[in-house]
Amino acid sequence: MIAGDRNWLLIFAACVALATIYPLIADGYQLTVIRDALIFGLFAASLDFFWGRTGILCFGHAAFFGIGGYIMALVTLNDAIPFASLLGIMGAVAGAAVVAAIIGYFLFFGGIRGSYFTIVTLAMGVICQQAAVSWSSVTGGDSGLIGIPPIEFDVGGLHVDLSQDLPSYIFVAAIVAVAVLTLWSISRGRWGTVLTAIQDNEVRAAALGHNAPLRLLVTFVLSAAIAGLAGALYVCMAGLVAPDLSGLLLSTEVIVWVAVGGRGTLLGPVLGAIFIQRAQQTISSFNPSLWPLLLGCVFVFVVIVFILPDGILSIYARLKVLFKGRRRAQ
Amino acid sequence: MPPKACLPACANASPVRPDAMDFVVTTLLNALTLISILMLVGLGLAISFGLMNVTNLAHGEFVTVGAFAVYFVQSIDGSFWLGLAAAPIAGAVVGCILEFAIIRHLYSRPVSTVLATWGVSLILQQGLELTFGLGAKPVTPPIEGTLDLFFTVYPAYRLILITIAALTLLGVVLLISRTSFGLDIRTVIQNREMAEGVGINTRRTYAIAFTFGAAIAGLAGGLVAPLAIVLPQMGVNYLANAFFVVIVGGVGSIGGLVAGSVFVGGLTSVLNYQISPSLAQAIVLLAAIVAVRLRPNGLFNGASR
Repeated sequence: MIAGDRNWLLIFAACVALATIYPLIADGYQLTVIRDALIFGLFAASLDFFWGRTGILCFGHAAFFGIGGYIMALVTLNDAIPFASLLGIMGAVAGAAVVAAIIGYFLFFGGIRGSYFTIVTLAMGVICQQAAVSWSSVTGGDSGLIGIPPIEFDVGGLHVDLSQDLPSYIFVAAIVAVAVLTLWSISRGRWGTVLTAIQDNEVRAAALGHNAPLRLLVTFVLSAAIAGLAGALYVCMAGLVAPDLSGLLLSTEVIVWVAVGGRGTLLGPVLGAIFIQRAQQTISSFNPSLWPLLLGCVFVFVVIVFILPDGILSIYARLKVLFKGRRRAQ
Repeated sequence: MPPKACLPACANASPVRPDAMDFVVTTLLNALTLISILMLVGLGLAISFGLMNVTNLAHGEFVTVGAFAVYFVQSIDGSFWLGLAAAPIAGAVVGCILEFAIIRHLYSRPVSTVLATWGVSLILQQGLELTFGLGAKPVTPPIEGTLDLFFTVYPAYRLILITIAALTLLGVVLLISRTSFGLDIRTVIQNREMAEGVGINTRRTYAIAFTFGAAIAGLAGGLVAPLAIVLPQMGVNYLANAFFVVIVGGVGSIGGLVAGSVFVGGLTSVLNYQISPSLAQAIVLLAAIVAVRLRPNGLFNGASR
């Protein structure tokens, strides 16, 4: 356990170092690409915090990303609101958290777990996207809202203006690093241990005096709040918000990022998001409709390879047995 | 027959057809159409999700495949009825392949099933789009025109749809309660080990039951094709609603299926008159969540906890 912690911190430090020197070798465009990928990485880490720790899969996590994005867009596009950037971020986090709290309360205290939870969150994602499309007087309908200004605020006399590439990259990278480190320390501490106990055997955990539904609810709300934060950051960097941001495709993509990156590691999903986004951009430049097809294949592939009962190493072991058997036969 | 648009005027002309009665009967029939479709789609889901504990996110694609089968046959041959016969076969073929290739290997790993079936669903959607091209596909109903039901005039095809759905459900009830295969299914559901002990091939029973559910969903897709917008992505709405039907109604009985369908279908059609469809969907979702909170074992089985 201690050795695992040290390894994690070493990898984390390596990633931070890489992120620090990256601006020295990259130009402005490459910086913005990595910045946007990092925001999606934060989103993936938020899902991993819930899925990896509780074993319950949320199939509509993009709903929280989208809610955060739309709240941020509406607040910053309204000229009457002062300190729009800060208020927008707070509103985005709070909005996603409140929605998660309402839905989570009914589900967790109603004894809904496992597949049932997955289904209801899937429907939640579908409905969020429909609402974003059809409530066009507020959300701008299919085309969404454009012209969202970059983040800009004053903290203790320090003026922060993220309209340039480098400041926005540093800001996003810092937030992602702090958030991932915080989530990690929560999930390796007592809170995470109790969650693992609940995942293993909820009845026993409850018998030991832990309020299992409440723990799950708080974890879910925290996870949704960070997804909302990621959504708010994204719309400010991209300058627009569209129904796709709360859609089912993004919800499923984030699951792939987490599954490929390594569920329960928090850092893996961030890296998974960055690499798969890169692959997606390359593939989509050939043919836009090829990506969902490939995504489907990745899902099937992930299940067969990455979530084998004994993990990826079992393939190696099996191949070894296979080859040994052949040699003996010769 | 007068077209539907002039309904209020016709209704006003005749004193025995008051407006309110006309409205109530039309709403009721609209609800019944939706409930019939939900029941057929939910049936397969109740088998796989409720009884076999398999979360099949590709179930909506059986509906899509059924609808595309009708479109395909009709575009070649021109006959809707031949297409409707092909729809459950198409659903069954896809279901059978899916069960054989993926689901039977993952019975003990629920999360893997969710991911894998979702992957299959994406592959099927994109495959259909690549094969048939972008855009909605036209399917014409076999019978145009309306039928006079005294209280209101109603499109004849929808009445046929309701009838076929009701007959199918009756057939399923008879199949499960009267045949030896139905007995096998009931035995496996009650106790899998014991069923194996008395010599029932449970794998085969699961496979047939799953394929059967897929065929019924394909039939539902074929039936709904003339009314719906036939798109490769149409399945997801049916998927979400059918899951609500199964969750709200509870698993393990036809009664629960009917109760769930009436709850979801009835609420959706009544709300669709008052507010926009997506807001109606959101309210149905919330109502379903509250219903699950209050009756975790389903509306129908609530007392038996």
